Amino acid sequence: MNRPLNVMMLSWEFPPRVIGGISPHMYFLSKSLAKNGVKVHIVTCDFPGAPAHEVIDGVEVYRIDSYKNPSPDFATWVYLMNLNMQKEAASIVAKLPEPIDVFHAHDWLVATAGIGLKHVFRKPLLVTMHSTEIGRRDGLHTSTEKMIHETEAWLTYEAWRVICCSDYMVQHVKWAFGLPSDKLVMVPNGVNPRIYDGLENQDLAAFRRKFALPEEKIVLYVGRLVYEKGIHILINAVPKVLEKVNAKFVIVGTGYMRDQLSNIVKSMGLEHKVLFEGFVDEGNLLKLQKCADVCVVPSLFEPFGIVALEAMAAKSPVVVSDTGGLSEIVDHEKTGVKAYSNNTDSLAWGITKILLDNNFRNSIRENAYKKILEKYDWDKIAQQTRQTYEGVIGEYSKSFWA
Amino acid sequence: MRVIIFSWEYPPRIVGKLAEYVSTLAMQLVKDKVETHVVTYHESMTGTTQEPSGVKVVRVANPVQTHISLLTWVLTLNQEVERAAANIFYQTKHVDLIDVYDWHFIPAAVTLKHALGIPFVYSVDSLEDHRSPEANLPFNMAIRGIEWLGFYEAQTVTAKTEWMQSEINRIYQVPKEKIKVITPDTNSWVKNIIATYKTAIKGGSNNT
Repeated sequence: MNRPLNVMMLSWEFPPRVIGGISPHMYFLSKSLAKNGVKVHIVTCDFPGAPAHEVIDGVEVYRIDSYKNPSPDFATWVYLMNLNMQKEAASIVAKLPEPIDVFHAHDWLVATAGIGLKHVFRKPLLVTMHSTEIGRRDGLHTSTEKMIHETEAWLTYEAWRVICCSDYMVQHVKWAFGLPSDKLVMVPNGVNPRIYDGLENQDLAAFRRKFALPEEKIVLYVGRLVYEKGIHILINAVPKVLEKVNAKFVIVGTGYMRDQLSNIVKSMGLEHKVLFEGFVDEGNLLKLQKCADVCVVPSLFEPFGIVALEAMAAKSPVVVSDTGGLSEIVDHEKTGVKAYSNNTDSLAWGITKILLDNNFRNSIRENAYKKILEKYDWDKIAQQTRQTYEGVIGEYSKSFWA
Repeated sequence: MRVIIFSWEYPPRIVGKLAEYVSTLAMQLVKDKVETHVVTYHESMTGTTQEPSGVKVVRVANPVQTHISLLTWVLTLNQEVERAAANIFYQTKHVDLIDVYDWHFIPAAVTLKHALGIPFVYSVDSLEDHRSPEANLPFNMAIRGIEWLGFYEAQTVTAKTEWMQSEINRIYQVPKEKIKVITPDTNSWVKNIIATYKTAIKGGSNNT
């Protein structure tokens, strides 16, 4: 091709709309792809105050009306939002001077829009499966969960290639939807260590004092307060850690388990040791990650584990549960500590081990940071993604659709 | 003239009166030299067939079997309708018009209009306001939203009675000039429909 690759990505979140891990993934992936000569058009949901169309470092971002009438339920809203997304994306594509070469959808949340666009424009569809319903819910228990699972199956069926962010997810997705191995590609998620550079030589002592006494170690949790993230395992581990170390537990994020968790903390009489901070803005979050003596990721189901990667980039030591993508990110006692999944004693042991041993803590910091630079660099990830696009376009050009 | 009719019921799948109506119309159109394709839903008889009358029928099923409401069922099925219509477009190189019966496949028609420049006629058999009077649940509002989208995006709207024309005008503020009343069971019925198609095609090509 004599012109740059032209890709349209669909996602239900893109900054400033941040709900989970897809939003930062979209942001850094699209920017790095643009740097590597790929023209990226992003179609995403609107957000109060964000423009309907803007160009960010060469990336075209379109924010569509995401259906604001009351919806019967979340899943129905997703399909209604997809109706608008598909309609808007269709008119954007029809007006572009160059045709779109590849549609790239992120998760089932944009499944029907992606599938529809593939067929009306007859261009290949790629999907990144960031997560699955069967994994999030640990099985399929309701009609809604089955419907979402079948939508995911349909999306992976329609996709030319399915990208997953860890070897664990490749196996999981292959099992969940019965896909052939050669349809799956592993491209890791990335992290940008540069965002912590500005804090490198700053004195954060005053900031730290807002959360903990000087003699208290900070144990940080960042994530939604939901079952799959295993936050209840960490809460149950609090008294066990406090037997050995004086620490403050800072919990960032919110979710349906919040009241339940703070009741447990109250019943243990440890309200002065556990802070529920709710949603924290980006600037303060970076500082907290920088101040933390240990970051804990106790997930029960974790396709990738971007929070662990961010902590490693902030040079905070990590304790993770030995599951999913986390198992691949952390080398036990080298770039972090792995605890048995769903095991309070094991998690408390890991946290205590890091907090009590300064030399161990420092060696983990250094090793983890090195691994970040080697394996999770966005530039490399963009190149791998680009190669995946080119492979698909090569195969497509020999098909009767071309 | 090449036309695709979208209808969620078509023989042998009969839900109400629409199946019979669409089937008669398709046969009449073929007699009057209109190349007529019908895209419809059937659980098991999927694929393309040509009926002895010359009407070409594509039946699609829903790839998602488990649903929580008619709405989720319709919104997923639309992608298959789109795929079937796009296949006709790419195989024949040109489709003049889509005629959509009721709200179910409006989403597919709207995407096809924006993506491939095919104008559509929205043929109204019934409205959500009459089917579920005084129901204001998000479910009904969503269906009304889809009906509204259909009226907004359609090149022309057809109704079978003047009463329906004034109801569409009253509920959705669609200008009466946009709503063509075509009474079935009269001698000029198919002639009027073909004339409406021709006007819509002309108007649609002026837009693009």
